Amino acid sequence: MSAEKKTLESRLLRGAHKTLTGLTPALESVLAAIIGLFIGALVMWLWGYDPIVAYKAMLLGAFGSKWGLADAGAIAAPLVLTALSFSICLRAGMFNIGAEGQLLMAGLATVCAGFFVLPPILHHAVAILFAMSAGAIWSMGPALLKLTRGVHEVISTIMFNWIANFLSLFLIGAFLINDFSADQTIAIPSSAVFSKIMRGTDLTYAIFVAIAFALIVYFVLWHTAIGYEVRAAGLNPSAARYGGIRNKRTLFLAFVLSGVSAGLAATTILMGSSAIHSMYRAHGQLLHVGFDGMAVAMVGRNHPIGILFSAMFFGGLSAGGRLMQLSPNPVPVQMVRLVMGVIVFTMAIPELVRIFPAIVNGTSGFIDRLRRLVSRTGRRRST
Amino acid sequence: MTKHEEPSHRSYYLRAESITKVYGDGTTAVRDVSVELHPGEIVGLLGENGAGKTTLTKMLSGLLPPTHGRVTSPSGLLRFSSPREALAFGIGMVHQHFALVGPFTAAENVALSHEKPFTRVRLAQAIERLETLMEQSGLRVPLDVPIEKLAVGEQQRVEILKVLSRDVDLLILDEPTSVLTPLEVDELFSLLRKLSDQGTSIILITHKLKEVQTITDRVVVLRHGEMVGDVKTSDTNTEQLAQLMVGQALDQDARAVELSGEELPVHRDVRAVDRSVESILHVEDMTVRGNTGETAVEDLSFDVFGGEIFGIAGVEGNGQTELVESVTGLRVPISGKATISGTNILGVDPRHIYRLGVAHIPEDRWELGLVLPFTLAENAILGVHRWERFRGPLTLLKWGQINRHVRELMDRFEIRATGPGAPAKSLSGGNQQKLIVGRELAKDPAIIVASQPTRGLDIGSAKYIRDLLVEMRNAGRAILLVSADLDEVLALSDRVAIMYEGKFMIVSEPEKLGREQIGLLMGGVSQEQEVAA
Repeated sequence: MSAEKKTLESRLLRGAHKTLTGLTPALESVLAAIIGLFIGALVMWLWGYDPIVAYKAMLLGAFGSKWGLADAGAIAAPLVLTALSFSICLRAGMFNIGAEGQLLMAGLATVCAGFFVLPPILHHAVAILFAMSAGAIWSMGPALLKLTRGVHEVISTIMFNWIANFLSLFLIGAFLINDFSADQTIAIPSSAVFSKIMRGTDLTYAIFVAIAFALIVYFVLWHTAIGYEVRAAGLNPSAARYGGIRNKRTLFLAFVLSGVSAGLAATTILMGSSAIHSMYRAHGQLLHVGFDGMAVAMVGRNHPIGILFSAMFFGGLSAGGRLMQLSPNPVPVQMVRLVMGVIVFTMAIPELVRIFPAIVNGTSGFIDRLRRLVSRTGRRRST
Repeated sequence: MTKHEEPSHRSYYLRAESITKVYGDGTTAVRDVSVELHPGEIVGLLGENGAGKTTLTKMLSGLLPPTHGRVTSPSGLLRFSSPREALAFGIGMVHQHFALVGPFTAAENVALSHEKPFTRVRLAQAIERLETLMEQSGLRVPLDVPIEKLAVGEQQRVEILKVLSRDVDLLILDEPTSVLTPLEVDELFSLLRKLSDQGTSIILITHKLKEVQTITDRVVVLRHGEMVGDVKTSDTNTEQLAQLMVGQALDQDARAVELSGEELPVHRDVRAVDRSVESILHVEDMTVRGNTGETAVEDLSFDVFGGEIFGIAGVEGNGQTELVESVTGLRVPISGKATISGTNILGVDPRHIYRLGVAHIPEDRWELGLVLPFTLAENAILGVHRWERFRGPLTLLKWGQINRHVRELMDRFEIRATGPGAPAKSLSGGNQQKLIVGRELAKDPAIIVASQPTRGLDIGSAKYIRDLLVEMRNAGRAILLVSADLDEVLALSDRVAIMYEGKFMIVSEPEKLGREQIGLLMGGVSQEQEVAA
């Protein structure tokens, strides 16, 4: 039983470590993106839109001007961090989808830090520290459940996401509510808000938090013994054990680090790109950022540097998608999410190709069996 | 499909005509074997690990096409593409590891095996059929208890029932007694006899000589893929079978020469090993449980001294793996003592044990020894990655230092690779093993625990690694060598222990043991028992 589970799990995680088509990881991602855009175009065409006009509007909107680029970057910043959050755990061999919940808890912590009255730089640091701690603490729950009781992290992180969802709903309503506007929390004071890099866009200095953290993660994973242990434990836990690596400690560390990353993502939104620096009861700005991060991580091949590029691509899709719905060819903005979805699916195509030979074998086996059945019944009749 | 309908051919069930199997990588697993199987016959298939037993049974059951020769039944050529098809024809196999669904009951498991995908499971029908079958065969299992709650012997009976419920004419059992208690073995054997009386042919794959004597009608002995014996059980005895299985000493050397162009040289040290000093590895009354909770190592005590190779021979699965894992920190024994130069190592983490000067060349180099997607350099520091040599402050890895170290290893141990950045999986098996051996020997160890160090390697690499071990021994290191390759253990060891069911049957200098005696000991027959019998 455990052996079966192990092979299943290693199959799930293989995408993180090698490409099945034999292409370089970057090329495979680019290919998936192109196929995704192509299928998106097909759908648009079927619904009577002009895909070329739509894509032109989108691409120009995202990458055609410095304003578009700035908006893409603003959307990319939190995606980089939630993608890192997912990738760190995947590198350690775990499928952690708890970024969504950690993001909410970290968001609350950031708002709490807004109660302090502090000078700007210090206030930023305190708020970031609050968010990082909240994210880390929230991810310790699933970590401890896994390491002490063997609860699978997929199950526990989903549960923790829902707990975070309703807990934050309650906390916003009961303690953090804004006296003047009942659907949101108090605002984070300007002393803790990242200033804009470019006027008229959402791009703030928060993007440097994302870039810096990506570089730190890269450095930790590939240039320290701790990162070495994380990767070894993820690729081959038995060999890691043989190499004297304390797997449980390593996995716990990966969980904490991924919580920190998700926490930082909350600060880049609430103290950065968000138009109103407070949390909505409906979690408007934070919703789906955790899950979108998984798609970004997948396309970025779970490499911090790859994630920077793929987050920029996804950010561009979202930023440009807004322009796509303008005339003369108003394509619904949902089309962007469709394209994203197709890209994620396309990333899984190599796996299908690998399964395909089995289908071929199965068919030939079926024909063989038919033949034998016919000859067997014939033989029975003769005896 | 060609048909032979003449009545004279009806007397056999299966016939293999000089079948040979050469695998894709050029190894000949089975060479020119001809054998015939009759209805109602119990045939023992005897041989060491790697003798070709599995390959032969696969070919006999039509699952693996022979490279040369053919396997026929009276109705024609045997050729199936899946075990399910073979089962439909009437050939069923019970593997060492059961294919049962733990939370399901016996009835559900059997019903499941009958159904094609996407059809309804007819449970009531299965239970009815099973009850008649149990009546007929005398094989009883509780049908309504989840499989995982049953004893291993009962699980095996469910597996046999599953196969029998498909009306098989040929039942193949792969090492069926390895997981059973003596009482369960007796029960299994009486069942097998009953089945053979009802006309079922049975192939029993085993390495236990006594079992062959008790149950089989005929014995087929394989050695290095060749059939060296096909005898009636009543015409032979355990000594003769042991000799056939292990091979005459002379004949063996001749084979080694034929295979390698040179014989396996005996490397005994001229200096006697000083056993008056404190031993390096000391093990006392150690008992270890295996993965399924069985006692894998029982009350074992031994010492390994500096400057000697202590070899452990025996058929695999007799506790060698658990023993090695226990002294290298990968498994915690339930009782006993083990020390390295006086320091306790039981229950201690591998990274502390390595600090005591232990090098471990693991049995499974893909599962334990290497992280295959890692580069050469990353693999070369596995286990020593936190040693001061390679690690700076903040656990920063000194890649410059590491790469220099890897290049040294590549030079010294003749590892052929494009460079320190090459992924370990791109290396050949021999080079992978040299990488592991190099990494471990570079620790400057006091004791080397080498488990199957040359398995699956080409002759050149195997010889190279054996020479290294001897060199380390001559340099005064202690070596614990575990190998299923009997010739290797006998040629290298200063003292050899023969392990059977978690115990040492004997500890002796290799010269004092006869081949026949070794074969008997490996099969669990000790001197005293022979005298008594």
